[in-house]
Amino acid sequence: MDVSQYLDIFIDETSEHIQSLSDGIMVLENEPENKDTINEIFRAAHSLKGMAGTMGFKRMQHLTHDMEDVFSEVRNDNIKVDSEMIDLLFNCLDAIEAYLESVKATSDEGTEDNEVLINKLNAYLDGSHASGGDATPAPAEDNSEESTEEAPGEAAPSASSDPNDPNGVDHYKSIKISENDVSKIREASESGLNIYGLTVHIEKECLLKAARAFLVFKALEDFGETLCSDPSSSDIEDEKFDLAFSVIIATESTDTDAIKAAVGAVSEIESVDLGKVTAEMYEKAEQAAPLAEPVEETKAASPAPAKAAPAAAPAAKKEAAPAKKAANKPVTARTVRVDIEKLDALMNQVSELIIAKNSIVSISSQSETTSNLDSGSLHEQIEYLERITTNLHESVMKVRMVPIESTVNKFPRMIRDLSRKLNKPMELTMSGEETELDRTVVDQIGDPLQHLLRNSADHGIESPEVRKAAGKPEEGTIFLNAFQEGNNVIIQVGDDGGGIDTERVLNKAIERGLVSEEEAPNLTQKEIIDFLFMPSFSMAKEITDISGRGVGLDVVKSNIEALGGDVEVKSTLGQGSTFTVRLPLTLAIIQALMVEVRDEKYAIALGSIMTIEDISINDIKYVEAKEVIHLRGLVIPIIRLDQLLDCEPSDANPENLTVVVVKKGDNYAGLVVDNLMGQQEIVIKSLGKVIENNKIISGATILGDGEVALIIDVNALI
Amino acid sequence: MANELEMTEEEKIQYIVVKIGSEHYGINISLVDNIVRMQKITRVPKVPNYYPGIINLRGEIVPVMSARVKMGLGEDVITNQSRIIILKLEVQGLVGIVVDAVREVITLGESEIDRTAQNSRKQDTTYINGIGKNGDELISIFDINSIVDEVSVS
Repeated sequence: MDVSQYLDIFIDETSEHIQSLSDGIMVLENEPENKDTINEIFRAAHSLKGMAGTMGFKRMQHLTHDMEDVFSEVRNDNIKVDSEMIDLLFNCLDAIEAYLESVKATSDEGTEDNEVLINKLNAYLDGSHASGGDATPAPAEDNSEESTEEAPGEAAPSASSDPNDPNGVDHYKSIKISENDVSKIREASESGLNIYGLTVHIEKECLLKAARAFLVFKALEDFGETLCSDPSSSDIEDEKFDLAFSVIIATESTDTDAIKAAVGAVSEIESVDLGKVTAEMYEKAEQAAPLAEPVEETKAASPAPAKAAPAAAPAAKKEAAPAKKAANKPVTARTVRVDIEKLDALMNQVSELIIAKNSIVSISSQSETTSNLDSGSLHEQIEYLERITTNLHESVMKVRMVPIESTVNKFPRMIRDLSRKLNKPMELTMSGEETELDRTVVDQIGDPLQHLLRNSADHGIESPEVRKAAGKPEEGTIFLNAFQEGNNVIIQVGDDGGGIDTERVLNKAIERGLVSEEEAPNLTQKEIIDFLFMPSFSMAKEITDISGRGVGLDVVKSNIEALGGDVEVKSTLGQGSTFTVRLPLTLAIIQALMVEVRDEKYAIALGSIMTIEDISINDIKYVEAKEVIHLRGLVIPIIRLDQLLDCEPSDANPENLTVVVVKKGDNYAGLVVDNLMGQQEIVIKSLGKVIENNKIISGATILGDGEVALIIDVNALI
Repeated sequence: MANELEMTEEEKIQYIVVKIGSEHYGINISLVDNIVRMQKITRVPKVPNYYPGIINLRGEIVPVMSARVKMGLGEDVITNQSRIIILKLEVQGLVGIVVDAVREVITLGESEIDRTAQNSRKQDTTYINGIGKNGDELISIFDINSIVDEVSVS
């Protein structure tokens, strides 16, 4: 068995632990006394160490081990958390992340020992001993903690469970084993060996169960021969077992504590039950309930008797915390990690299914008029098919949706670092982290958001002195709010800083020849702000390594547009600015309203449509020589799609116009169309690389009859 | 100029000979994915005039361009003989080119192609990079890189 197959899981799991460590340390910085957090951090560091060890990443293990020691001292109140230590811990996290990056790239942790960090960590440890005057060496204390820390909280509930439950205590006594194995046990016992049964419980959160089991088997090899196991060893290797497995071994040793300790030393093993067994027990097992008494004495009531005594006091104290956590955190999210490519394939198949369905729908509507086919039942079946494909599509979409949390949760740390670097106190508040987006979008939205946040931190938030003078709190606030609106997800990033000085932007634009001095006064605020999105247009007075290299906002804009979204800025001088990023919820399939303009068919995303109105030609008013309609208190500009889309002018002068009212945020527009065709589920396709830079058309779709319809990009029209 | 490299390295290259107006043009066969009959082209607004639009090629959307308009030789005349040559290019993906007719496939060696010959029409840009001699006939070899718009790889 080779651990390299677990590399992917290791990488995923490690990233998660790094994130929870980072979150925890952030909390710790504000509430240095928070015991729950300290425990959580300790557990994360411990798991990290265990995983690194399992995978054979010695340097990583060393570093995490020392971090764990520090946390353990913190937990025991031997060290106080101070900001210097928080910085050091963050540096350590960065180092671990560097290891992880190296593992990702080369499957190896690299050669960086990070001795400086380790020395610093040790300095903390030494310091604590000096001041605390505690004679107990730290490692010893640690060992006892490790085993007790995991055992009490989680093993307690299982103690009372049914022995037939594979996760129950002493399951090894009731396992079913083959005749063959029974005779093996008998032979071994006749040759004078001690036969022990073990049930090993693995932690719930453990992902590398088979790897842990492998290590348990390896540890047992040192003592003697493994006679049999339940489930079978091949099932264990394939991870076909729940949270526990049982093994029967033959050994010369009588030191059961040593065996338990050896097995318990494997990380993420929750507890080990061990007892003497005999071949007879299994022979009778079929007729009668297992005999528990003969072996009772070796199996202690507490799952960790050897270590419990010396560390009883701290263990008891800690017992509450993990138990509480187990209740709060429902079983580690019941998820399956799926390769995104597989989902893409599934998605493509669904797309094709929808196209096929659309053609059947189109055929059936034709046959209704032309033949006397029994179209009633056909119709019914088609509606059924339609319902299935829609549901299927929704499920597939949902599978692809992930909360943006995974991307945004690294930002608080970033802002904290920036705050120190820039010497400006500031705080990041986030809301809507649970908002879900397509996985591909979530993966790619990180960089643009990071740019915007850095921008806010560097350019937005003023220095504390300036803020004080302006009557604002010294600590700046940066916010990130995410929420869903129709078919879009909106992410707002902003600050309560100085806002954009349009005057300065304009001067800069004139200076750079982007606009002539004569034209300049005619520009609207929005047009001026748009200069910021021009390539290499930097407003920074001095170039810092945070921003100001002129590769900011234009990249943000193009990245977001590449995802089918757009970005807007609102800014009030002196009060701050807000960047609003709008992203499509779904990438491939949408519900759309099909309309006709002349004889051409167009699709408008249903999510952006507010209403459809029949407007008399007399109701059209003019504002600044542009057509508008007055609708329930809103003045809505009219866009004649035939003109916009360069259609042939028509002679017809209808009395009434069909107007599709669309909205984007707080802005509306009325699109004049010739004909409404109805609602349809459409598969969005690119126009092809050579013409995809189209501002009005966001893509095309294939209709049931094979014809192509263009999709109007409403966001670009408003 | 990957195809130029190919040409100097390889002895003989196959070209699809197509007719546009009264002239014959050769397209390197390795760039051709498919040849389809004329079908309904859906107009796309706000694109250069040499793109009549897009077609549905077995469920894929393929942009179609008119080489004739691009070269300034007037509008395409669609007949029964008209075909769309679907090119599969590395950067641009699938692109269709409308031609009046597809004639044949010929094989030319580098020695049979005159690289120095100038296009008789005095144009600022030329879309051919050589003239091949196939018996008595002269065949202009399309420079695909200049006929199909470049796309920025970003």
